[in-house]
Amino acid sequence: METFAYTPSQEQVIAAPLTESMFVSGPPGCGKTSAAVGRLRQIIDQGIPAESILILTPQRSLAAPYARETSRPDLPAGGLPTIVTLGGLAQRTLQLFWPAIAGSSGFRRPDLPPTYLTLETAQYYMAKVAAPLFDRGFFEQLVIDRNRLYSQILDNLNKAAVVGFAHTDISSRLKNAWIGKPEQLIHYEQAQECANLFRSYCLENNLLDFSLQIELFAQQLWPSHLVRQYLSNQYRHLIYDNIEEDVPVAHDMVREWLPAFESSLLTFDQGAGYRAFLGADPADAELLCGYCDQTLEFSQSFVTQPALQELGSAFTSILLSKPEKTVTPRALTAYSFEPSRFYPEMIDWVAAEVARLVQEEQVPPGEIAIVSPFLSDSLRHSLMHRLQGHGVLARSHRPSRSLRDEPAARCLLTLARMAHPLWDLPVATPDLRAALLQTISGIDLVRADLIASMLFSTRDKQAPLNSFDLVKPGMQERITFSIGERFMRLRAWLSRYMEAEPVELDVFLARLFGELLAQPGYGFHDDYEAARVTARLIESVQKFRRATEVTSQASGLSIGQEYLKMVADGVIAAQYLQPVEEEQPDAVLVAPAYSFLMVNQPVRYQFWLDVGSQGWWERLYQPLTHPHVLSRRWQPEKAWTDVDDFSANQETLQRLTGGLIARCREHIYLCAARVNERGSEEKGPLLYGVQSLLRLARGLEAGRV
Amino acid sequence: MKIPANFAFSQNNLQDYVDCPRRFELRYLEKLAWPAIRSEPILAVERHMQLGERFHRMIQQNQSGLPADLIGATASEPELIEWWQAYLSSAPDPLPERRLVEHTLAAPFGSYRLVAKYDLLAITPGERALIVDWKTSLRKPKRQILSSRIQTRLYPFLLTEAGKSLNNGIAFKPEQIELIYWFTADPRNPEHFPYSSNQYEEDRSYLQNLIADAVNASDTNFPLTGDERMCRYCNFRSLCDRGEGAGEMETDSLAEESSESSGYDLDFEQISEIAF
Repeated sequence: METFAYTPSQEQVIAAPLTESMFVSGPPGCGKTSAAVGRLRQIIDQGIPAESILILTPQRSLAAPYARETSRPDLPAGGLPTIVTLGGLAQRTLQLFWPAIAGSSGFRRPDLPPTYLTLETAQYYMAKVAAPLFDRGFFEQLVIDRNRLYSQILDNLNKAAVVGFAHTDISSRLKNAWIGKPEQLIHYEQAQECANLFRSYCLENNLLDFSLQIELFAQQLWPSHLVRQYLSNQYRHLIYDNIEEDVPVAHDMVREWLPAFESSLLTFDQGAGYRAFLGADPADAELLCGYCDQTLEFSQSFVTQPALQELGSAFTSILLSKPEKTVTPRALTAYSFEPSRFYPEMIDWVAAEVARLVQEEQVPPGEIAIVSPFLSDSLRHSLMHRLQGHGVLARSHRPSRSLRDEPAARCLLTLARMAHPLWDLPVATPDLRAALLQTISGIDLVRADLIASMLFSTRDKQAPLNSFDLVKPGMQERITFSIGERFMRLRAWLSRYMEAEPVELDVFLARLFGELLAQPGYGFHDDYEAARVTARLIESVQKFRRATEVTSQASGLSIGQEYLKMVADGVIAAQYLQPVEEEQPDAVLVAPAYSFLMVNQPVRYQFWLDVGSQGWWERLYQPLTHPHVLSRRWQPEKAWTDVDDFSANQETLQRLTGGLIARCREHIYLCAARVNERGSEEKGPLLYGVQSLLRLARGLEAGRV
Repeated sequence: MKIPANFAFSQNNLQDYVDCPRRFELRYLEKLAWPAIRSEPILAVERHMQLGERFHRMIQQNQSGLPADLIGATASEPELIEWWQAYLSSAPDPLPERRLVEHTLAAPFGSYRLVAKYDLLAITPGERALIVDWKTSLRKPKRQILSSRIQTRLYPFLLTEAGKSLNNGIAFKPEQIELIYWFTADPRNPEHFPYSSNQYEEDRSYLQNLIADAVNASDTNFPLTGDERMCRYCNFRSLCDRGEGAGEMETDSLAEESSESSGYDLDFEQISEIAF
């Protein structure tokens, strides 16, 4: 087990009496979470029932240190603390107290249990409710994918819930702040109408999306005496970590709850608030300080060397346009600037340098992170492929991945379409060729192509696969008899299925997997990754089925058909949240910058990709929502101007770069490509910042600074 | 594959180890998702499990202080209504005053930990502790089968080891503990398993040996079960080249004996936590 000595400040937190409420703040990497974990252990070691401890974090990944501590074999015998986010606490409490509040919350069938919607199923229902309005001409001025508009309307509902204003006020807030072209005001009103309809539909059908769960918890459950008593009896001690990443309604709840706890410890990361686009409100979090008995400030970083700290200060002064811009000689040793002409050249260089660090400098791969503002599939693929080529182990972390992009899932969906001709979702020859490549062990592209072109009939939908016996002997030999025999078993399995009554799509997929694809001679038999993808796809379909079976009769489509149609339309991407791995492998991390920050694991080396990208600075184009205007900080009558926009972006960039630097131990590579991924030249504010830094550095070398 | 230092042994993973060491390795050490069907008819199994989950939640709501009529009004399925009525009329009664629902206990045990989630602990501190486990299986298993289950050994043993904080800081004596299985299939005839010091010592030794055996296997290999009938109810059957289709639960007498019959039963330990 890892052991280390605590600092006096940490000791003070750990050993504080079990009657204290403490607020601990400090920059990232100064040991706040370690102290909080130490205090957790101290409380348990003192004989306090562990089940009376509530550990609240804004995001699952931030709870990992607590989960590790509570799974240690030497933890004293007894109960276990509850580790939860606001969303988790809301859902648990709702499940328990649903019968008590359903009747007074506007649900049409309070006597039936609710259906909890996932991100995907909420998107599905939003599409169902809003699509007719789109067909009537809603948002016709906006040239943007319809599915992105659905998700922005859902995002507005979520913002209203977590910030704590009525969902019916969304459009008035957005309209009051808007000073651009008047057409946009209509879009806000249309977005409001969609949001209202969606909420009514949820109440009508007992559906609980995230926004409704939070709203019910905050407005119905939390004020209830019964619930408050239940929670207060259950939890006597609170540890609330990274409060700056949490949303205002969570802060409201904790503020009211604090006096009821025997002890509490709140930790606040200065300069953070990376989840602001999800409603996190660091300024609101800091106000909780006034409700604690004791405030402590940690200042010494255990992560960054002085050189990196000085680099961080230089960046801050540049990005926030402070009059005094200085850089120290030491800061110059903390980074390298690596310009390339073309994007692939930059990727090649990064992969080669990572390989050099690992192979020549013996840097463990897990001590290296490659970050970029976004991680597209192509960037992820190119990086992983090149690192693999250098023999370097790498892992990518994205908050979610689309199963549609996984070859195993595409194969399963192709076979599902083929097995259900009445669904009228045709399979093309290239689809079948790709599916055969995944399905049959030992087959190659040429043989798969031969079978697909000779034995697949797009016309005969009832019997789309012909017998291998029809192939001329010479060609049979070329394809090989073993592949032919496997193809025939696949054909027979599908024929048997098509002759019987169809089953639910998830059941079809599970049977196909277990009875055929995972059998010896087939591609999924010893492919654990394909099995994982299959499991996630089945889970996605199953959740879709369970969430929609109460409302699916109206469309006239079977649930499986509806699912495949929604996947094809991109309404649901068959996305899954990647589980937070308990044990991280020793591999180079490739991740979007914000995901890296939320994993909260410092590394020795960081590579910042494409520092010229505007993505480091500006928000995504989201015409129906606005994270700042819908925040609690915003004055509802104020207009959002270009000046506000510029300063918000600068602040975001400063926060992001500051957060990254604070999670680096040794060196940062600033990598630029003159021509970006899309083939155009891009010079974003981070690049200008880097150039200012380089000018300061040159001045320093010339003795001018 | 090695058993990690922070591994916690539970009734589910130990029972899997007893049934098939290889299944234990695949499911808990390799954490391999292998989405084949465990038992047919799958949708009936799923429905039964969902009803079981709702029944457990209704009891949890009731034990947390919600009025029974309010809870009962949320059940519209005939089975669920029947189970609920059976619970109201025939649940073990009287139970000690202090109730802990869906409560997890854990304790160090050798180099690892033991963990269990209890449906209901009913306690009179200083006097006695009842463990109540609600079973929604289609049939009530024979007492002999129940007594051989890991759950019957682990639950009272762990309460003795880890229940100090529930008993004013003093460990329960084994004689103060009783395990009760209550069945929706036979609500008037719950099975009672009073605990004893002898049984406690026997269970300690049994669990020690079982875990030592698993640790030894992790140094060498985890063999496949010798009883191939078990494979009919195991999702890994294709990986182990032990068959294609899943077994039928309702028609097979083995279902009652197999731990994989949990398709028709439900322990709260098996419900994935909404941890976050």
